[in-house]
Amino acid sequence: MSPPVIAAHGVSKWYGQVIGLNNVTVSIPPGISGLLGPNGAGKSTLLKLVSGQLKPSQGHVQVLGEPIWGNPKAYRRIGYCPDHDGFYERMTGRDWLTALLGLGGFDDDRAARAAARALDTVGLTDAADRKIGGYSKGMRQRIKLAQAIAHDPELLVLDEPLAGLDPLGRRRVIDVIRAWGREGRSVVVSSHVLHEIELMTSNILLLNNGRILAEGNVHQIRDLIDEHPHTVRITADDPRRLARRLLGYSHVIAMQLQDGAVIAQTNRPDVFYTELTALAAGDEVGAVREVTSPDDNLHAVFSYLVNQ
Amino acid sequence: MVDANARPAFGRAALRVFDLGLGQMLWSRRTVFMALIAGGPVLIAALLRALASLPTFDAGAGQIGGRAVSLDGPDIFGLMIWTFYLRFTVPVLGVFYGTALIADEVEDRTITYLFTRPVARGAVLAGKYLAYLACTAVVVLPSVTIVYFLVVPLLGGSIGRNFPALLVDLGLIGAGLAVYGAVFALVGAWFRRSLLTGLVFVFGWEPLVVVLPGYMKYLSVAYYLQGLAPHAMPQGDALSVIQALLTSVQTPLATWVNLAALALIWTVALAAAMRAVERREFVLGQ
Repeated sequence: MSPPVIAAHGVSKWYGQVIGLNNVTVSIPPGISGLLGPNGAGKSTLLKLVSGQLKPSQGHVQVLGEPIWGNPKAYRRIGYCPDHDGFYERMTGRDWLTALLGLGGFDDDRAARAAARALDTVGLTDAADRKIGGYSKGMRQRIKLAQAIAHDPELLVLDEPLAGLDPLGRRRVIDVIRAWGREGRSVVVSSHVLHEIELMTSNILLLNNGRILAEGNVHQIRDLIDEHPHTVRITADDPRRLARRLLGYSHVIAMQLQDGAVIAQTNRPDVFYTELTALAAGDEVGAVREVTSPDDNLHAVFSYLVNQ
Repeated sequence: MVDANARPAFGRAALRVFDLGLGQMLWSRRTVFMALIAGGPVLIAALLRALASLPTFDAGAGQIGGRAVSLDGPDIFGLMIWTFYLRFTVPVLGVFYGTALIADEVEDRTITYLFTRPVARGAVLAGKYLAYLACTAVVVLPSVTIVYFLVVPLLGGSIGRNFPALLVDLGLIGAGLAVYGAVFALVGAWFRRSLLTGLVFVFGWEPLVVVLPGYMKYLSVAYYLQGLAPHAMPQGDALSVIQALLTSVQTPLATWVNLAALALIWTVALAAAMRAVERREFVLGQ
């Protein structure tokens, strides 16, 4: 059996009086693993501990067989994509990636080549020489992913990498992650949307209130999720036309227009996302800018799980 | 797959961070604001120069409170260096930039990208500190030079004869920026309310301790800088009073002692700041 890529033993993390993670012991095997939980569950805290940004208040974390806190040598083997939106806005995407690769020990030529490759992988070659400050939200998400993969790490740690992406961007990022897994490398990816995780892996960890609730195969959770309607918020150029089109789907059970966005509820999220991607790829409903999913539905499932 | 051992050496990593940070620092709103502050003395020098060109202007000797005083262009320049630059602009630049070396990255949420690279966090601080030195030098040194050429020729002063003093002044300002920057980098790494702490140090602690008798003045940067100021202050009773207020207790320390003290403060502060950054967690969003 392969050694775990991440091993946490009795790990707790608290911020003053607030508990971020509570006595978590977990071994994450090689391959793609999904970290699923509502906002505030402790996903980001766990990923920050894994990427060496935070020190455990208690317990210890090993990544790729090495302790991670205060061990920058090990960071060379990890690519981390944060959930937050912070950039050097005046730099171009290419310059930013090249500079970060330089910090990773790449010389200028290698850094330029690796940056170009990463930009191509995330579909930003055309925008590479534009300033990041002028990027759309989806492009910013993708440039974050590019900086995580550019140095070809052994382990990718991705915190909500699909948040705010349009359907085509989502598909591209999911493809990148799956390809990474197929090459025998490891990915830990967090989301509060089960459907997103499910498209990448069947191996999940359920996290709530700073504790691991369950780990293993996705199918049982999937059945529970399906009992609860899944809410999706879609920002589009022509939301009315999109709403009219979505109303024709039998799996869409409720719909409203709010602040120029369509809020749809579906009991078949997998089918819904597939059809939405197809719609976005065509000209029928105009451009679809952003797809997000509030985590109310996941909260409901977690409440159900916890009370069982 | 990656070469797990490939990582830049400390100095190279610091230079990479310097490259990354300098552009951000130079074009920040803070630098525009600081450039305006550094432009104040230039404006005053230009006004003096304009006044001196009036036909009714008669200076070089005058009276304050009935007492005779005399001063010339180099004297005025020396006063301006001390009051405007060494006692105000340099420490203020140190506070505003030094305390923000890491805080800006935290506030902009870009610290994550630096602290997840295979480089020592101390190298990140060192690179940012170098960017601070370059940025503040660009803001202050041209201002000093312009003031020199505007003020020194007044009332018979010689630009050529006083040029060595200008070089010493520029060196002194560079040393001030370096030492204050290191001290406030440490304050920024240690204290949560670092800007407030720094301002209290500059405008509360330092002016107080340099006029107090005893040994408290040794716990300041201004005291040692004052001991290195090259200008003979203007002669005359009234100006001596002003000089006494501005420079307070005359330093009894030799030049090498002042230099050694500044070097010690710089080394200890910068090393402690790097150590603090290495050990501290930076939690975004708290």
